[in-house]
Order: sequence, then C-alpha cells, then structure tokens
Amino acid sequence: MADIALIAEPRTEQGSSASRRLRHAGRIPAVVYGHGAEPIPVSVDSRALRQVFNTAAGENVLLDLSIGTERHLAMARDLQRHPVRRTISHVDFLVVNRDEVVSAEVPVVLLGEALHVTRGGGTVDQTTFTLPVKAKPSDIPSHVEIDITDLELGHAIRVADVSVPAGVIIELEPETVLVTGIAGRGAVTQDEVVEPVEAN
Amino acid sequence: MLMPKKVAHRKHHRGRMTGATKGGENIDFGDYGIQALEPAWVTARQIEAARIAMTRHVRRGGKVWIRVFPDKPVTKKPAETRMGSGKGNPELWVAVVKPGRILFELAGVDEELARAAMNRAIQKLPMKARFVVRHGLNSTEGQS
Repeated sequence: MADIALIAEPRTEQGSSASRRLRHAGRIPAVVYGHGAEPIPVSVDSRALRQVFNTAAGENVLLDLSIGTERHLAMARDLQRHPVRRTISHVDFLVVNRDEVVSAEVPVVLLGEALHVTRGGGTVDQTTFTLPVKAKPSDIPSHVEIDITDLELGHAIRVADVSVPAGVIIELEPETVLVTGIAGRGAVTQDEVVEPVEAN
Repeated sequence: MLMPKKVAHRKHHRGRMTGATKGGENIDFGDYGIQALEPAWVTARQIEAARIAMTRHVRRGGKVWIRVFPDKPVTKKPAETRMGSGKGNPELWVAVVKPGRILFELAGVDEELARAAMNRAIQKLPMKARFVVRHGLNSTEGQS
C-alpha cells in the first residue's frame, strides 16, 4: 500500500454552522488525533478526499497528511456520510506509526459460486461483511477473500477457515460464523437427501 | 400485519418528521435494499403489501429483512362525529420513516431479479424510494 499525499488546513471555526459553510465551499471538516496528542480540527478538499478513497486500498489507505508545516502518517478511522446523498460529511484521521499495530475494518469478498447450495435450493447467507483486523498499517489488506465454491447446504465458513496474510490477526473468535449455506423455501438440507435404493 | 404486542401509551401525539434519518441508513444484512427518499408514515398494511409484492416476484430462494416496525398508533374519530369529546380511537399502526432509511433488504437473488422485485415493492409505499446495492457488491448503483 503506497502512501497518498493529502493536504489539510487547520480549522479555526468549529461547530455545525461553520462545518456547513465549509461543506458548501467544497471542503470536508475532519479531525486528526492519535499518539496522545491534542486533537487538531482540520478541513480537506472534498474532491481530493474522494480520490484518496478511490484506490485499491479502499478506506484503509495510508495517508501522508500535511497540516501546514507538519506532516503526519495517518489513516481514516471513521467516515461519516450523508444518509441520502452518501457524500462524506466528516472524517476522523488517526495518526499512526509504521511499526505499531493498529486496528482496522477490512471488507469481506466472497469468491466463486456455491453450487452445492444453489442447486439444493438454498442461499448463501453472509453474516459478516467486514472483519476487524490488527496489523501494521502497511500490512492491512484491502479486502479478505473467502472462497465459497465448496460450501455445502447447512455448513458454515468460520473465522478459523479464513487465511489472511502474515502479520494480520483477525480480532474475532475462531468459531465466529462468516458465511452459511442456508436452506431457502422449498430447499432440502443435506441430511434430508435420500439416496435412491436399487430394488433387487 | 406488524404491530406491537403491548404499548406504554395507547395514543401518541403526531410529532414532526424533519431532517434525515438518524440511523438505519446502511444495508446491514442483505445485498440489496429499498431506501426512503422522503419522510412518511408507512402503515403496517403498506409494509405487508410491499413484502408480499417482493416475495411473490422472487418466488423461490432469497431472504427478506424488514428494517422498519410500525410502533406508532394513529387515532381516528368516527365518521359524522362532532368535534371535541377527546381523542379518537387507535385505528392503525405506522412506522415513522425519514429520508435515507433502509426499509427492506433482500439477499440470495441476482441483481436483476432483486431490482424488479423491489421496484414492485416501492409501488406499494407512500413515498419516493430507490433501489440500493450494498457497498462492495459488484454493481452499477452502489451504496458507498
């Protein structure tokens, strides 16, 4: 994951009215914190911010954040979006160190088609869409892939079955279910399938 | 139809529906959803009609989540009654929906079928609504 440069300007005015004026002017209010330092209210250009999150790294992109003369290595910790327009209305930037382990949410991507489930009339039920992981900022994967080709009806894929790159720890119990092959309407579970018996 | 099992107060004030939703704006369970674009009271009958329209179009497979619950009683006075003499009787149950709220979610079907089913369900609702797709799912119209 390459660092992406983002320029932030310190905010003098705070509060909802000032933030609304900023958004009208094409800037997004944000806050920078971490490592015990005092939080710094800043604002970033909305177009630049949109481009930052539009890379392969997704929302866990490592940023080279410039605030005036200061430069910080940061990650977006929390994104607030407008409920209808889905535009970003506020961002929290967490200052990180390259050598420290940080927590992040990584999206889960299902690969393949669960033919055993769909042919049995069932559906694939994904219960977890993001995985909380702990890793060094540069080791955080853009997504975690789960192959569901061999998933069977009534069976589940758990955290223990998922392989992640070295240095990445999933912060969930190994028994936590991620994907299940559930019987749909009119579907039969694996135990109910009766093998045809040949008559002698 | 959906309605509460028991309530603290039989009759509510009407209230106001200003602003956007304060929660429930993300697709949290399924792959596709119906998102409200206007504020409205959605009655239990409308929720049920939308659910039936959706499930009948999907036919087999698929899983539906209803993300709103009609927990607000609406009273009505009987016809040809003079004004006064207190508030009317509870007649129906509504869910207060504000813009951005996800009303239904659907999973286990392809996008084309989900879009068709949900567009039928939208016809049963009292406000403008749109079909949305979960962020991260390969689609042309994502809820980022």
